[in-house]
This record gives sequence, structure tokens and C-alpha cells, in this order.
Amino acid sequence: MRSIGAIIRSAPRLARSAAVIAAAAAFLSLPGGCGDAGGKGTAPDGRVVISYWEKWTGFEKDAMQAIVDDYNTSQSRVRVELLPVSDISQKVMLASAGGNPPDVAGLYSDDVFPYARRGALIPLDSLGALERVSKKDYLPVYWRQCEHFGMLWALPSTPTSIALHWNKKLFREAGLDPDRPPRTIAELDEMCDRLTVVELWRNGEMARVRYSELSEDERRKKDFRIVRLGFSPLEPGWWSPYWGLWFGGRIWDPETKTLTPDSKGDIEAFEWIRSFPERYGVDNIRSFDSSFGNFASPRNPFLSGKVAMELQGVWMHNFIEKYAPNMEWGAAPFPTKDGKGTVTVAESDVLAIPRGAKHPRDALDFILYVNRRKTMEKLCLLQRKFTPLRAVSPDFYARHPNPYIKMFRSLAESPGAYGTPPIPILNEYADGLEAAAERVFFMIDTPRDALEGVRKRFEKRLRQYYKRWAMVKDRRLEEWRRTR
Amino acid sequence: MRILWKTVVYLLLIVGSVLMSLPFAWMLSTALKPIEQTMSMPPNWLPYRYYAEIDGKREAVVPVEKIISTAYVADDGTVLRRRIDAGGASVRVVRASENAPLFKVALERDRSKWAVLAASDVSRRVEPRWENFANAVKEMRYFPRYLWNTLLLCVLTVVGSVVSSSLAAYGFSRIEWKGRDKLFAVVLATMMVPFPVVMVPLYCLFRWLGMIGTLQPLWVGSFFAQAFNVFLLRQFFMGIPKDLSDAARIDGCGEFTIFLKVILPAAKPALVVVALLQFLFTWNDFLGPLIYLTDQSDYTLALGLQFFQSQNGGTEWHYLMAASILVIAPIMLLFVIAQRSFIQGISMTGMKG
Amino acid sequence: MTGMERRRLVLGLLFVSPCLIGLAVFTLYPLAASFYYSFCDYDILSEPLWVGTANYAEMLGDDLFWKSLYNTCFFAALFVPLSLVLSLLVAMLLNQAVKFRFLFRALFYLPALVPIVAGAMIWLWIYNGEYGLLNYALSRIGIRAPQWLADPAWTKPALVFMALWGVGNTIIIYLAALQDVPVQLYESAEIDGAGFWAKFRHVTIPMISPVIYFNLIMGIIGAMQIFTRPYIMMERGGPDNSALFYTIYIFQNAFRYSRMGYASAMAWTLFVAIVFLTWLGSKSASGKIHYEGR
Repeated sequence: MRSIGAIIRSAPRLARSAAVIAAAAAFLSLPGGCGDAGGKGTAPDGRVVISYWEKWTGFEKDAMQAIVDDYNTSQSRVRVELLPVSDISQKVMLASAGGNPPDVAGLYSDDVFPYARRGALIPLDSLGALERVSKKDYLPVYWRQCEHFGMLWALPSTPTSIALHWNKKLFREAGLDPDRPPRTIAELDEMCDRLTVVELWRNGEMARVRYSELSEDERRKKDFRIVRLGFSPLEPGWWSPYWGLWFGGRIWDPETKTLTPDSKGDIEAFEWIRSFPERYGVDNIRSFDSSFGNFASPRNPFLSGKVAMELQGVWMHNFIEKYAPNMEWGAAPFPTKDGKGTVTVAESDVLAIPRGAKHPRDALDFILYVNRRKTMEKLCLLQRKFTPLRAVSPDFYARHPNPYIKMFRSLAESPGAYGTPPIPILNEYADGLEAAAERVFFMIDTPRDALEGVRKRFEKRLRQYYKRWAMVKDRRLEEWRRTR
Repeated sequence: MRILWKTVVYLLLIVGSVLMSLPFAWMLSTALKPIEQTMSMPPNWLPYRYYAEIDGKREAVVPVEKIISTAYVADDGTVLRRRIDAGGASVRVVRASENAPLFKVALERDRSKWAVLAASDVSRRVEPRWENFANAVKEMRYFPRYLWNTLLLCVLTVVGSVVSSSLAAYGFSRIEWKGRDKLFAVVLATMMVPFPVVMVPLYCLFRWLGMIGTLQPLWVGSFFAQAFNVFLLRQFFMGIPKDLSDAARIDGCGEFTIFLKVILPAAKPALVVVALLQFLFTWNDFLGPLIYLTDQSDYTLALGLQFFQSQNGGTEWHYLMAASILVIAPIMLLFVIAQRSFIQGISMTGMKG
Repeated sequence: MTGMERRRLVLGLLFVSPCLIGLAVFTLYPLAASFYYSFCDYDILSEPLWVGTANYAEMLGDDLFWKSLYNTCFFAALFVPLSLVLSLLVAMLLNQAVKFRFLFRALFYLPALVPIVAGAMIWLWIYNGEYGLLNYALSRIGIRAPQWLADPAWTKPALVFMALWGVGNTIIIYLAALQDVPVQLYESAEIDGAGFWAKFRHVTIPMISPVIYFNLIMGIIGAMQIFTRPYIMMERGGPDNSALFYTIYIFQNAFRYSRMGYASAMAWTLFVAIVFLTWLGSKSASGKIHYEGR
């Protein structure tokens, strides 16, 4: 302490040295702080360097890195630098707004429409993309999410679809045929009751019993602790706004461009969501939920056998391999209400060029390279997904480690494959629907009230949006058509 | 009577400080555990390592679960045989009785191989995992970079705020000029402006200046005398006797010399306070870096800690706690050293309004 | 103005120039700009579009706005009084002549030094319904505790308790103030026969009243802006938006939905509310603060 006092006592001297330190620090902060994300200029070997922000980590990132390396060695004009970025949708938006975006952005397919309508992306066709690729090369559901206002804004990188995953061992223990998944929602519910195991006091001692074996009275009192849950519509809960699809409902009417969260199918879906806490008890589910571990760990609820069935995506196979390699599992299309047809939500990762990128043409060249059939298949194989291209090499499936890959692909090819709807206020709307699903799940609101509330709230917002869009539409479209 | 009083005071202080430090203790405990023990129920304070004899060798094992499900125990009480790949550890057949709890354990070196053992076959030792600290730094990849960025920012903001605020405080207290107090009232009023109000236009301003994506938005402002620091120092300066300045003036000193040679030395406790508060603020600032920094390598420690929070929806608690302790340690040290001058400084600034 | 006065004016302005420039550039300009934006539709990538009072009208009809306002006021109303009382109590304890004062002070202040992210994560852990320390401790004494951060009714109290853990700054300020109270006042009060409570009411409180007032104002201003902890622990507003605080909702609108105009309207409303509350606070305190030697 005295030393601090002595230091400060010589204030004038300190002031001088402080000034020097500050100047030095300010100078030092410049090169590092200039973090020039877009176009670091030229590399020492004379190549143009373009920056590519991607959301992946782990082996998915390694897969893309392999492609980037291939590209860099295949030509000597450009070098692509792959940078893993978390929270990518927000970061790219902020960087774009800050005038400092990357040349290539690895976004999600549901970012494309919001970004496009705000003019945050450079249309790929204005750079000549359509001379090299066309709509017919791709599965329609993925192309649809990249083309808006008659322009192409992004190209898919790796596609996904979602399906029912189930734990065969738990099926067997419950006396169900492990190779026969439920085909209708009613079957799912019934199987769920058999798979759910609870712990309760019976005749003075703790017993573990299947839910289907509980008496009427025990079911009514709900005085038990859940030990295993057959299924929960909110686990993982990543697609809760879309549950209506499996019941024939839609949250968006593309013809009239209105929001329809309270369509008959959606309300039925939410009533189905509500049936879970009605059966098992809100508090029981809540405390069971908090025992779940992290998604990417052996304590993942599905991987650790706490939840017997889950709606998950084509990537789930990778997590099973890594964290629960001895698990016996199956995947099949998620049951629809009446068992007819298949439904899935088909999203993808995409590559786009943010407005303000320093090297758009080179960026496009890289994006098109990724979209060549051989490169795409290599990438998707390494990431253990299927490809978004219509044409598939004969040995692609033969080499593929995911035993159900063909099923996931056929889901994406089917007419029941839905992509993210091009709703202008999608972020808020989806947040609102998720909140509504939660409220219904915790029995705070009835399905009808919750969904009608969502509609009323966002209807107004949407109308406002369209009013303003009408004012600026022509100006914006003109801006975008001009070649960058 | 006095003794009773003293006892009560001691008791309250001890209980209070224990409660205050509990979260820290928990942090340290978690930082020293392997990931599977961080979420154990019931919670453990000590990190363990479990050992068991398998196939004649003493192996480190990881308890997976207690077996009570009927799937593992056959009707006659024997445990179902192993399901381990060839070349792995074998399992013993254990006769299950009511009093012998059974555990499924996995080999620590190869989690895919497991065995079922009686609890009595598994021993444990307290083994803190000091390697978590090194691993956490490695996982975060940019840790040294973040440390550097944070220190840089702290130095810049401390220097900036001390210099500019003392200048401004001098002008607002030691020189008599027209309109001085009214202007100061305006400055004071700006303390009421919440950050969200200026957040967006500031962002646009920095964008226009081309500063987004650099560290500059985080320190440039501190060189322009922020209201709170000016207020603090002004309070203090007003308490320094006028005679000191008057004597210097009579000796022919200019205002700036008086500032440098008379006021500043007398104000060291207050300057320490300003410096410490600013250091603390910058060290822990989260919202600023969240908005202004785009390049991951530019992040500060406060923001970098979030790295452990959500990767694929998972949180590596042990690494997060280890990294957090590394972030807290220098601050704790700083405070312990500077404690007395800090408190002294605050009392002398006489925050009596 | 005399030459002397003019010289002093120039010098004074020179000294405060960095402050004034900063004021103009970093406070007044953004203040004016955000006022303008609050009447516009602005998504930061394109030009702001004037829409008049549409944002404010929408705000009044937005139930999430009211919910976030309610959440914030609830938090402030619970936290501010508790923190004032608690920190005063602790400061008084720390002011006593006990051994290891040094150590106790450090222990009480340390939580205020913890980086917010780290602190939030520890508490996230402690509050965990199944594995957390708190519920375990409570279950040992037979209390069936709620799920804290997963239960809409308990998220705010949980956050208040967490925030109370970090009141070190307030404690230190009170401590400094208490140490400044002249001992003679206590002595003369004792001579007059005053007991502990009387001394507290008639000597301590009046002497530190300016500090109490200062802490109250800063406390309110701070509580109304709560952001980082709930943002880290429950990013989307928590169960049933029970932890959707005002600043978090502003942040969501500005950076997630790109509605900068709307966010600005909300921010200005907050500003007006804070000014009002501060004015209210000073009005009610004006008779009661005792300034020494002024």
C-alpha cells in the first residue's frame, strides 16, 4: 500500500508516463483491433484473401475445412479463410450493419428471407450464379428457401430433415416391438404411456412402475416422480412452432400472406402438447426436465435413456455415435395424426454473400465450388448428412455411415417436406409461438387462447410491415437488381 | 453486556461472510472436478477418482449409474452378463442381495467399456483435477488473446478516465467562472441517461467512424470525462483548502501548474478510487463488447467466458468455473492490496451529496 | 465581463472541454438521435422511415412491453429497499472494532468483483432444480423447494437474492460514511442518556442521510436497467417471460428483430421514467437530508 502511495505521490511524473503508456497502448490496439473481417487484403503470396464465417465446430467444421483446403489448392488466385463464429445470425447482421462483414457467411436457411428483404445480402444471380446452377439441380424444398422476390440469395451447403428417433432397448423392455415405431399420433401416445416409468409409494415402499400400469386413482393424484419419459413434445423443443404440420395445420398461408397460427391443425397440435402435462403432471415434468444434461454429452436425455422417443434431425446419428455408441436406436418418419403421408421440416445451412463484402465475385466462385456434385457429396458425407442436389452418385449411400440416411433423404424429397415459411417477422413470430407452446405445456393458457393471442399480436405487426414495404418496394428491388 | 454484544457481532459477521463465500467455494470445488461429477446428486464438495479391480488390474473408473432397474438383475438374483466388446474388461457375476447396491461403472480410459460391480468393490480417493485449469485455457483457444485485450482496455480506460475526469473536475471546482455550476448540473443530469437510450445511435456513430469491429468504441469514450468520475473527483477537490491554491497563485503559478503540482498530489486517494472503479468496470464489462466486437479474436475475458456456455447447447461447467477463477484471481489480488486506500478514498470524496 | 473574468471563463472551459465534447458527442447527440429514431421505422441497414407516433402507440398496446415493465418494477421494488437495509446493516457490523476486520471486509466485498458472466453461471448452477446446492440444502431440512429459474413465480425473487450477493459496493460506501461520523456526537448522545436505538435514529441516520439518498437514487437507476444476469441465465426471457426485463426486451427488439425505432421508443420511455423517479426521490428527501457545513 505504501508503494502505491509512493507511486501516486509523484503525480506529475506519473502523468507523463501514463501519457506514454496510453499512447503506446492506443497504437498497439490498432492492428489487432482493426479486426478487418472482410477481405484482409492480399496474403503474402499475392492471393486475394476472402473471409468465410461459419457456425460449425468440431467435426462439422473439420469437414468444411477439408473442402476449403481443397479449394485453396485447386487454384492459386484466391485463398479462403474459414473462421468459426458462434451466434452467427446475429454476428453477421451486426457486422454487416457495422460495415465490416465477411465475404462468405454460413447462415441458416431461415435467415435468408429476413436478410434478403432487408437488403443485407447480395443476390447471387446478379453476380451470374444462374449461368452455372439452376433450380432443377436441387431438391425443391431447399431451393425455395433461397429464392425470393424472383432472385437467388444463397445456395444450400448441407441439408437436414427431422424424424422420430427411438430407443430400441427401452421398447423391448416395455414389451413393444423394437422395430415397429408408432405411425399415428394415437399410437405414439399409447406407446408413450407404456414407456414412461414413474417412482411412487405403494403399500409403504418405493416402487417403479410403468405409467400404463398405474391405477385410475394414482393417475389422478399424480403423486409420483418421473424416472423415464416416453416422449415430450418440448424435448428438444426446437420446432415447437411447427407441430401443427403433423396435424394438417399451417402457421402461414402463402396465398393470402396471412398468419394462421390458430388453424384447426395447429390448435389440435397444441391440445396434444397439453395432453402430456395433463397425464403426467406439470410439476413432475418440470423437475424431471431440470435433471437433463447438456445436449452434446452422454447425459443428453435421449442418449442417457431418460427419454425414449424424440423428434430429432439427421445429425442425431453423430451424437449417438460419439456419446452413446452402444445404444440401439431406430429412426422413422414422425407419425402424423392419421398416419397418412409423411411430414418433415427441411432446413439447411446456406452460404450467402453479405452486402458490403469486399470480394463478392470470388466469394461466389467459392460458393459454386462447394455446390459441385463431388464437393457437395464429400462435404455431406463427412458431416454425415444427405445432399440437397437432385442427382446423387451411386456409391454415396453405400459409403454413408448413417443407416437411416435414405429415409431422411426421402423425407426431404416428399411433398410433405416443409421449409421455413417466408414470413417477414419470422423471428418474433417464432419466438411468440415458442412462448405460447411453453405456456400451453405448463398449463398456463389453453391452446385456443394462446394461439389466438399470438395471431392477434402479430397480425397487426405484419400489416404494418406490408404497409411500409409497399412504400419502399420498388426502390429496393431496383437497388438489388443492379449488379454489385 | 459488552461481551454479549461482541459475540452477536462476531456471529453475524461469520455467518454472513460464510454465506457470501459459499458460491466461491462451490466454484473452486467445481473447477477441480471432472465433468461427470459436476452434476452429481447429492452434491459433493470434494472431487474424487474412483478405482476398481477389473481383470486383475487396478483401473480408474467412472460410476455411471446405480442399478435398480429389473433389466439388469435376473429373477434368481444374478446380474446379466457383460456386453463388452472383445478385448475389453470383463465383468464379474455378482449375486445381488438386498444389502448390496450394484453400480454400473465405465472405464475412464475407454468409456465404451463398462462393468457391473458391487459398491464395496469400488474405492475412491480425493483427487482434484488441477489439469482443468490448463485444459480450460486450451479449450477457450484465445484465452491469452482475451487476457491481452482486456488488460489493454483496462489500462487505456483507467488512464483515460483519470486524466480527463481530473481535468474536468478541476475546471468545475477550482476555477470560478460564469455558468460553471449550471453547466455542471447538466453534466450531472446525464448520469440519469440509461445506456439503452444511447446504445443504438452510439452504434451508428461508431459505424460511421469505422470503429465497429475494433476495440476502439470500448475505450475512446473514457478519454472524455464521464459524469460519474467527474462528480466523484469534484466532491473531493472541493474539500481541498482554498489557501493552497491561493498561495500557489500568489507565487505566480498558472492554473495548470496548480492542477498538476498542488491538487493532484493531494487527491491521490480519490484518484485511486476512480482508477479502481474504472478498472473493475472495464474488466467485467459485458454489454459493450457484446455489441461492438465482431471478430472473435477481439473479445475480452468477460465475453470470452460465454464461450463455455453454449456450444451445441452444452455447458462445460468444470472448464467454465476454472476459467472464471482465472478471471477473478487478479481482481481479488488487486482488491486485497488496495483495500485500505480504496475505502479511505471513498470516505474522503465525502459522498455527502 | 472584466478581463479577469474572461480569462477565468476561458481557462475553465478549457479544463472541462473533454467533458463537454464527450457530453455532446457521446450523450447529447445519441440522445437526440434516438429521440428521432423513436419516431421512425429503422432496421439499421436501410434509411430510417418516419412513422410519427406509431411506435409509441404500438408500445402501449404491446403486452410484452407491459410485462417487461412490470417485471422490472417488481425487481426494483424488491431489490432496492432490501439492498439498502442489508448493506447498511453489514456496514455497521463491519464498523465495529473486531479482529480480522480486514478479512471480513474483503469477504463481503469480493462478490462484487466477480465478472458478471462467471457469477451468473455459478448461480445458474446453485439454483438448478435437481442438482443445485440450494435445493439440496433445503431438502436436507425438509423443505420442498421450487424449481427457481424454471418456475415463473420464482425467477424474480431468485434474481433479487443473487443481486443481493453482490452489494459490496454499497456496503463500502456506507462503511466510509459511517467512519466519517464524528465520535463526539455519539459521546454527547451517550451523556444525554441515549441508548443504542436512540443513537442510531438521532445521530447515525441523519449524519449518513446524504449517502442513503445517493445509494437510493443510484440503486433505482441501476435496478431499472438490469440486463446482464438475466440475459445470460435466461436469454429468451425465462419461463413464461417472467424474467423478461425492460432492457432485455429493448435489446431483443434492437438486435434480434432489427426494430431499432421501436427499441428507441422504449428506451426513451425508460429515460423519462428514471428522471421522474429521481425527481420524486429528491422531492421526498429534500426535507430530510442533513448536509454538514453547507
